Amino acid sequence: MSVFSLYDQKESPFGGIYVIFLVNRLQMIYFFLIMPTYLVYPYMVWGILALGIVSHLNLLILSKWFSSDFAKKGYLGFVQLFGQGMVRIFACVGVFLILIKISVIMLGYVEVYHQFIFSSVNPNWLILFVFIVIFYITYQGMENTIRFVVIVFFFTFWAIGLFVPFLFPPIAALHDLYPLIPVEWSRDSWKGLLLIWSALSGPEYLILLATWLKPNNKMKRNLAIGNAVTVFEYLFLFIASLFYYSSNFLSLSKFPVPNMLQYLESPVFERVDILLLTLHWLLVIFVIAIFMLVIFRAKGIIMGKWGKNPTLFGLVLSFIVVMVFIVIMNEWFWKSEQNLLLELQIWLGALTYTVVPFLLYVAVRLKERVNK
Amino acid sequence: MIRYIHLKILHMLCCCVLLAGCSPFIENNTIEEIAPVIFWSISQGQNDKIKINTVVPPMIQEKKQLLSMEVDLLKEGEKEFNLIYYRELKSGQLRMVLINEELARQGINSLINTFLTDPDIHQRLYLAIVKGDFEKYIENQIDKQENLDYFLYQMFKHYEEQGNMSIVNLHQFKNKLYSPVADPFLPVFKTTETDFIYEGTAFFSKDKLIASIKHMDEQIFQLIGHKYYLKNLTIPGLSVSLGQVRAHVKTELSQDLSTLSVIVNLNGRIEEYRGDKNILEPDNLEALNHEIELYLAEQTKGLLDNMQKWQVDPLEIGTLSLHPLKKPLSEQEWKESWDKMKITVGYDIYLEPLMNTKD
Repeated sequence: MSVFSLYDQKESPFGGIYVIFLVNRLQMIYFFLIMPTYLVYPYMVWGILALGIVSHLNLLILSKWFSSDFAKKGYLGFVQLFGQGMVRIFACVGVFLILIKISVIMLGYVEVYHQFIFSSVNPNWLILFVFIVIFYITYQGMENTIRFVVIVFFFTFWAIGLFVPFLFPPIAALHDLYPLIPVEWSRDSWKGLLLIWSALSGPEYLILLATWLKPNNKMKRNLAIGNAVTVFEYLFLFIASLFYYSSNFLSLSKFPVPNMLQYLESPVFERVDILLLTLHWLLVIFVIAIFMLVIFRAKGIIMGKWGKNPTLFGLVLSFIVVMVFIVIMNEWFWKSEQNLLLELQIWLGALTYTVVPFLLYVAVRLKERVNK
Repeated sequence: MIRYIHLKILHMLCCCVLLAGCSPFIENNTIEEIAPVIFWSISQGQNDKIKINTVVPPMIQEKKQLLSMEVDLLKEGEKEFNLIYYRELKSGQLRMVLINEELARQGINSLINTFLTDPDIHQRLYLAIVKGDFEKYIENQIDKQENLDYFLYQMFKHYEEQGNMSIVNLHQFKNKLYSPVADPFLPVFKTTETDFIYEGTAFFSKDKLIASIKHMDEQIFQLIGHKYYLKNLTIPGLSVSLGQVRAHVKTELSQDLSTLSVIVNLNGRIEEYRGDKNILEPDNLEALNHEIELYLAEQTKGLLDNMQKWQVDPLEIGTLSLHPLKKPLSEQEWKESWDKMKITVGYDIYLEPLMNTKD
C-alpha cells in the first residue's frame, strides 16, 4: 500500500502573492452576496471603510504571531505555547467553528444556486455533487490545494469588473447615496456593522497554514494588501447595489448581488448570472477543501494521533460525516430557522476574528517573557 | 487489501443510490419540447378574472396561433396554457408584458410582484399599457405579418435607447414604485384592428394608472422628464417643427419645498415652417423664437399643474428634496408639499435657422 500523505511539504513554502490571494478570497465568500440587504443605508459605506481599517490593525497584530518562531513550527509551536491539553481543546473548538462556517457557506451557495438556476433539484443532491469535487481536491494534498487558490482567484476576481456599468447613469443617480450621514441609528445598524466585521473574518485561519507560508517580514504588507482589496470590493459592490436598488428597495431583496447580475446584458451569453454563480463554486470548493484538510488534521490531534500517516478510509469517513452534518443542518436549520444559523455564524466569525489574533499575541508575549 | 474492501463498499453505496432511481432532475428543458413565451398580454376578464394572451410558437417554422385564457391568477394561466398546447410554455424568454388600460387603473401591484419574484424572469422585461382590443389586433395580423411578437419586441428594444418613446422596463418601474419621492410611468399603445400605435405616457400613482398624456404634453414629457432629446418636436399651433432638439433642464426646489422653478435650455434647429412670417429675417426669427418660448413654457406649466392635480410625480422632482446631510422625506410629507408647491417655468431657446433656402 503506497504511503498516503496529505500534508507533505515537498517544495519551498508559498510566497507573498499566495498570502494576498488567500486573505482576499477567504474574506470574499458568501457574505458579499447578501451583505447589501443588511446594510441598506448609504452611510454604511463609512462603516465598511472604518471596519476595513480596524481589520487592518487586527491583521497587524496577527502578523506579530507570524513573525514569531512559533509560527514556523506549526502544531509543535502551538504545543509549546499552550501545552498539549489546551491544543486539544482548541482543536475541538476549532472543528466546531469550522463546521458551522462551512455549513453556512455551503448551504448559502446551494440556496442561491437552487433559487436562481436549479429550482427543481433537491439541494441535497447539489451538496453531494460538490462534496465529490471537494474530495478530489482534498485528495491532492494540502500543497496542491493551496496552489489551487491562484486558479480560484483569477476565475472569480474579474467578476467585480462586471459591476462597473452600475456606477453610471441611467442606473446610477447620486441622490441614491443620500443621506450620507447617519440620521437615525437603530439596532439594525449595529447588526450591519457586525456583519461587515464578520465578513472580513477569515484570515485568522491562516495560522493553521502557517508552515506552508513563507515566513518573512513582508507578511505584514501582504496581509494588508489582501485586506485592502477585499474592502475595496465590498465598498464597490455596496455602492453599486445602492445605485441599482436605491435604499428603499434594498432591504427587500434577498440576494441583491445575484439579482444585479441578472440585469446585465451580454450579446453572446444571456444569463450572465448562471456563468458567474457557477464560477463561484470554485471558490466554495477551494475554501471547503482547505477547511476539510484542517478538520481532518484536527481530528488526528484530538485523537492523539499526531504524526501518524492518515488513511484514505479515515478521509472518506470524515467526508461522509461532514457531509451528513451539513445535510442535517440543511434539513433542520437552514430550511426552517435559517436566520438562526446565519446569525450564529455572523457572531462566531466576528468573535474568532477578534479573539484569535489577540490571544496569540498575548500568548507569544507571555512566553517570550517567561523564556527571558 | 483493507483499502480494496473500502472502495468496494463505496462502490456499492453509489450503486444503491443510482439504482434507487432517485434522479435529481425533475424538469425537462429539451428544446424540442418547450415553447418560450415572448410576451403576455393581460387584460380584465369577466367576473374579476384576468384574461391573458400569448402567441405561440415563437421563432419557429410553424403556423402561429393566439392562445388566450381567463383565469384568477397569472401563474394559473401559465399552467392552463400547457394543457391546451402540445409544448410546455416557459417564461424564461419573456420580454414584454402588455397590460390593458382598464386593468392598470385598478392597480397592477400583484402582477409586478409576480414578475419580480420569478427567478426565470428577467428584470429587463418591458412593460406597456395597451388601449383597445389587443386580441383582435393579433388575430388580424398574425397571418399577415410573420414573427409579429418578435417585431414588437424589436421596436421596444430600438426605442429604449432613444427619446421619442417612454420605454420602461420592470426594474425601472419597480424602483419608482417603491420610492417614496417618485412615481412610475409606462408607455401607452393604442391598438386598432390593423395597427399598434404609440400614443403617449401613462402616469401612475403607486401602482394605479391615474392619467395618460399625448401629443404636445407627451413631447414635453420626453424633453424635460425622460430622455431630454427629441428627434422631432412638432408645434402645429405655431406651424413650425424643430429637429434634433436637446434639452438641459435646471430644476430648483426651494429649501422649504414651497416653490419649484424649472428652466429649460433648448437647442435645436428649425426644420420646417409653414407660417406667414419671413423667418429668414433676423427680427422675425427673433419673434418666432419668443413665441415658441412662451408657448412651450405655457404648455409645460400646464403639464406640471396637471401632475400636481393628479398627485403624481413621474419627473422625480421629489428626489430634489433629498440632501446628503438630512433625513429623507416620508411619502406622506412629500405628497403634501407637492400638492401645494408653486411652479414657475422658463424656456431659453437657441435655434439654428432654416438653411439652404431662399425667400
